[in-house]
Amino acid sequence: MEKAMKKYSPIFLLPTMIAFTIGFIVPFVYGIFLSFCKFTTVTDWKWVGLQNYTKIFYVNGKLDTTFLHSLWYTALFTLVSVLIINIVSFVIAMLLTKGIKGTNLFRTVFFMPNLIGGIVLSYIWLMIFNSVLSNFSKTIVSTQWYAFWGLIAVVCWQQIGYMMIIYVAGIQNIPGELIEAAKIDGANSWQLLRHVTLPMLMPTITICTFLTLTNGFKLFDQNLALTGGNPGKMSQLLALNIYDTMYGTTGWQGVGQAKAVIFFILVALIAVVQNKLTTSKEVEN
Amino acid sequence: MKKKLVSVLLVSAMAASMLVGCGGGDGAASTQKGGDASNKTEATGSVYLLNFKPETDEAWKNLAQTYTDQTGVDVTVLTAADGQYSTTLQSEMAKSEAPTIFTIGNTTAAQTWNDYTLDLKDSALYEHLTDKSLSITYDNKIAGVANCYECYGIIYNKTILEGYCGLDGAVVSSVDEINSFDTLNKVATDINSRVDEINDALGTHLTEAFASAGLDDGSSWRFSGHLACLPLYYEFKDDGCDLIAGEGEIDGTYLDQFKNVWDMYVNTSAADPKTLNSGALNAEAELGMGEAVFYQNGDWEFSALTNPDNGYEVTADDLSMMPIYFGVDDANQGLCVGTENYWAVNCKAPQEDIDATLAFLEWVITSDEGRDAITNQMGLTAPFDTFTGDYETANAFAQAGNALMTSGKTSVAWSFNATPNVDDWRADVVSALTAYTDGSGDWDGVKTAFVDGWADQWKLAHAEE
Repeated sequence: MEKAMKKYSPIFLLPTMIAFTIGFIVPFVYGIFLSFCKFTTVTDWKWVGLQNYTKIFYVNGKLDTTFLHSLWYTALFTLVSVLIINIVSFVIAMLLTKGIKGTNLFRTVFFMPNLIGGIVLSYIWLMIFNSVLSNFSKTIVSTQWYAFWGLIAVVCWQQIGYMMIIYVAGIQNIPGELIEAAKIDGANSWQLLRHVTLPMLMPTITICTFLTLTNGFKLFDQNLALTGGNPGKMSQLLALNIYDTMYGTTGWQGVGQAKAVIFFILVALIAVVQNKLTTSKEVEN
Repeated sequence: MKKKLVSVLLVSAMAASMLVGCGGGDGAASTQKGGDASNKTEATGSVYLLNFKPETDEAWKNLAQTYTDQTGVDVTVLTAADGQYSTTLQSEMAKSEAPTIFTIGNTTAAQTWNDYTLDLKDSALYEHLTDKSLSITYDNKIAGVANCYECYGIIYNKTILEGYCGLDGAVVSSVDEINSFDTLNKVATDINSRVDEINDALGTHLTEAFASAGLDDGSSWRFSGHLACLPLYYEFKDDGCDLIAGEGEIDGTYLDQFKNVWDMYVNTSAADPKTLNSGALNAEAELGMGEAVFYQNGDWEFSALTNPDNGYEVTADDLSMMPIYFGVDDANQGLCVGTENYWAVNCKAPQEDIDATLAFLEWVITSDEGRDAITNQMGLTAPFDTFTGDYETANAFAQAGNALMTSGKTSVAWSFNATPNVDDWRADVVSALTAYTDGSGDWDGVKTAFVDGWADQWKLAHAEE
């Protein structure tokens, strides 16, 4: 049986592998290749070496900080959104697993925002923000910090419900006898949280931080619809910056591609490190 | 052995008869197709139009169908979503069945697509073009020919403005007296300060003179593009360079006038100068509902303002357009006339497709069906000498533009078509303009974005590899 499985596994894997190659590996490798080219359409390219990569930082003999700005802006955005989303959704999940009346209703309500697409959501929030801020003669794009907190609010509102569901599932998976045993040993609720619940939840925390981290770095729709990168390009997150370079600047398709490659390496690196860190804290059930 | 030989022969005979059968079938099919089509042109090659204006999608599809019915030539029409043209063009061009006709908006686009544009110098399209300046010359070839032209200026509500002129203490006694920036500024300031009085006297419900000058992405181009055209135009004119192609470095000689006009827009409007970028303002509706008298925009607004579905109060009789008086050469200045829509033909398409495409375009501008579709269904003003009589424009703004032209005013060319890296340059200008208007920045910031930004972006856009 095992021998047969070994023998035929390539055949069964083939369809998936072909799909994976067409849908991921080929465009990925081709994309990296294009980042070293000057091109107008993807089939019509000219090799230019590392020029695209230097153009990201040096333009007209001057240091160009737009990419660096959106880099640290994105990093800060991701950090803040990961913290807020995870802490708030964990707290809500804890409350909703205490057996309060109407728990199911609350879960549905918190999850609902996640069912609306990012663009629609952001346009709705844009109206809300601006009608409130107009009382103070401000708009959501008055400064980059209004834009920043606006984005944080929208993203939190959207993702907290989703992460909450994952946390609820995780909390419900903690064996009751473990908690009971801790209580009998005299653990107070803080010790219970610190030494039982949190360690048992580490796999869930790994998933949730991974999801929010990559979502934060890759955020595009909300950025485009809510701020459009305004004022200036000060609220451009990385994805929007790449899109803008690709389609906004004449002959810079290759530079956009180069930025995308850097972007990928960065996100991949951070995600791997984060995964290592949180996985190492996981305990055996 | 013999048996085998016979069977081989039989099989090959069968195969041969099958081939003959196929061939015969093909022949029959093609003659049938030829019979369907009228005998105007040979039905070889096909046309693929990548359309720029979403509002003309249906009219183009109908026109394409008519052409196919008449000649048997396949015409595919694809329309890019609003604001997605360059994205769509880029992906469509990479396909093997690439568009044969596409739209380029300016010289920069002609540069981007230089490898793909066919020289249209000998085409019927260029031959029929009334004003040869309505084409793009790049790399010693006619890269694009305008398929329509548009004009913009200051749209005004004629009825209200004439009513105001009849009031006591009005700055002018007839609309014709508004013929310079100073007069316009005085009139607008006066109207804005006496809104209640005017409303009582005329039974209107004005709230302001100028409709709000929104600086959100949906409206800021009116200023970073269209208003910015005027300082560019006068400077290019002084420097003697091509008015549409522009030059690499500008001095911003006429930015003071730009500031004056901008200040007038902001100061004579009811919108809060600090929140112009909120995106909540709708200048078109302000003019349409009779809340504002003036509104800087173009003749493309005509259909929106007069479309009964929009529920606006104004009618075609209320509407007219005056030049954006700029305080430089007001006596001779007409409307800003130009286009951002040039047809380009894909030279990388197979020759028979190119031929079919050129024939199709000629048909569009010479046949009754084509001219009717362009003028009456799409509502465009076409720059070709074939559009006479029934096919002249019905657009009140375009008519006002024509009247100004015949009275000897000089139309302002669309110099903003020269803008290098349009989106980037405009974004910086708008951001500086926003800062100036909400008080967090000063006018020098706008100057820097305008002048230095121009030189920077020009170097980027025109860098030779």
